[in-house]
Amino acid sequence: MHPLLANRTLLTIYLLTWVGLGFAMAAQLVLVFSLPFGVALVWAMPLSVAYGFVCLSAWWVARAQPLGDRPPVEAVTAVVSATLQASAFLAGPGTAYGALLARFGGFDLDRTVLLQGAVLWFAMGIPLYLVSAMVHYLFLALERSRNAERLALNNQVGARVAELRALRAQLDPHFLFNSLNSINSLIGSDPEGARRMCEGLGDFMRQTLRLGSRDQVTLSQEIALVDRYLAIEKVRFGERLQISRALEAPALDCVVPPLLLQPLVENAIKHGVAGRLEGGTIHLAARRLADRLLLEVENPVDADAAARPGEGVGLENVRRRLSATGAREARLDVTRTPESFRVTLSLPAVTLKEGGGDGR
Amino acid sequence: MAADGARCRVLLVDDEAPARALLREYLVAHTDIDVVGECANGFEAVKRIAESAPDLVFLDVQMPKLDGFEVLELLDPRPVVVFCTAYDEYALKAFEVHAVDYLLKPFGRERLAEALDRARARLAAPSSPSVPAPTAAAIAATARPQGQWLERVVIKDGPSVHVVSVDKLDYLEAQDDYVAIHTEGKAWLKHQTLAELADQLDPQRFVRVHRSYVVPVERIARLELYAKDSRVAILHDGRQLPVSRAGHARLKELM
Repeated sequence: MHPLLANRTLLTIYLLTWVGLGFAMAAQLVLVFSLPFGVALVWAMPLSVAYGFVCLSAWWVARAQPLGDRPPVEAVTAVVSATLQASAFLAGPGTAYGALLARFGGFDLDRTVLLQGAVLWFAMGIPLYLVSAMVHYLFLALERSRNAERLALNNQVGARVAELRALRAQLDPHFLFNSLNSINSLIGSDPEGARRMCEGLGDFMRQTLRLGSRDQVTLSQEIALVDRYLAIEKVRFGERLQISRALEAPALDCVVPPLLLQPLVENAIKHGVAGRLEGGTIHLAARRLADRLLLEVENPVDADAAARPGEGVGLENVRRRLSATGAREARLDVTRTPESFRVTLSLPAVTLKEGGGDGR
Repeated sequence: MAADGARCRVLLVDDEAPARALLREYLVAHTDIDVVGECANGFEAVKRIAESAPDLVFLDVQMPKLDGFEVLELLDPRPVVVFCTAYDEYALKAFEVHAVDYLLKPFGRERLAEALDRARARLAAPSSPSVPAPTAAAIAATARPQGQWLERVVIKDGPSVHVVSVDKLDYLEAQDDYVAIHTEGKAWLKHQTLAELADQLDPQRFVRVHRSYVVPVERIARLELYAKDSRVAILHDGRQLPVSRAGHARLKELM
């Protein structure tokens, strides 16, 4: 429905405008045909108000034929055709109404006046409708630009929220507590090891904050972060935590949203390796297939472990991150068997150089 | 208050080697403490505690297979326990199951010494009559995060421990003070009443069809009228279980 019809105040103002125009039309009739003003007013006023409603149809024309999407010829054609139709509508019933007034109202309107009147009505209808069409196009253009602005803002907010969430998930306090406990233990048995672990922990935190504030990082940077993380966890889990890597060089140059893999690896430890008596091996794979970058994190799970709700939260974060970065063709798939859990990511392969032109 | 010369035998249970090493190092300073062993998971812990009956156990909460609370649930008699974990959300539950202390990692020597004092006091004045020991069911119930149903059932069968995911339960059958847990064609006996166990199961999935039987809804193939007002539930594997009138009402409500 036309927005004006939904707003009483605006509709009243609009109709009052047409009442004003009705006076103008009556004046026109007085000028051209030397009619008494009362007669001219009775003829013109209902037509003017009715035409006010007809002119609202420009809204649907403007919506169906927006400017900018298609060749302007189409919009111009549509507006011209609608203008002619609307004017014909004003001229036809306008004249008929005049004839009725002459026959039953005793108004002094002869044949010539009615015929010339038809031409006059038609001539008045054209500019009025064109003005209405212009106002409608202007209004829609404003609305579109405002919507686009709001959408951009929403996307931006979404991206920031996802980033924050990822960062907060990154700095899982339990990871910190457990690491500090390991350091505490190493201080007694292996002071050098304790120092190395302090350093590693500091490095990991600093890198997390640094990469987390960027829009994109290379896969090799992300893998370096994962390695720092794994080095810390290796102190806690010892031989129970094993890693195998299949990382192909062309894939490492591709860009990814930061902190994309690390949460997946953290999940693989928390919900996979840590829950198994004998621990297990986490498989990391990255390869580039034509224009796609394929990443894989797979871990064994304990067959008795029930699916925990926590798994969903971590994955949800990664998913949100993928969508917030605007990589629309990105996919995240989960393959679950009783013994293993695998997350596969597929995203457009963009290297830093191509990325500059691509703008993604 | 421990008598002079009273020795305290201690077991360390944590899946992380550095965490065990730290406890061991701290404990050296306490001459009345004998560390009798270390366990890296809940299975080992249940076995070692049954074998060597330590006075005091330092118990991690998050471990593979059996968590700290599940270990406690399987022990009878129960040793004095100090929980050690990086998670503070289990503290309340730990005291509900009568842990003497709850150490938050990372902790220092002084904090451990405090925990030891409490443990010594508890050992010197055992089971005060005003505070009855919690039942296994109470332990199991507190081990679960609030609003979450049991995900797996732990059963002690002589020296070995079985962990059965609730997804694999065929049905449960009351046998006096025990519950027969039927799963994958086998049956395990757990020392617990059917009512206690049923209370911990998701009521949307598990129905008490009879005073003596609890069945997962998805295992029921159909119901048959057996006599006036009495029915049998035919399971997908062909087994037949009696359905009482109240059980039938509960089933109808779910289906």
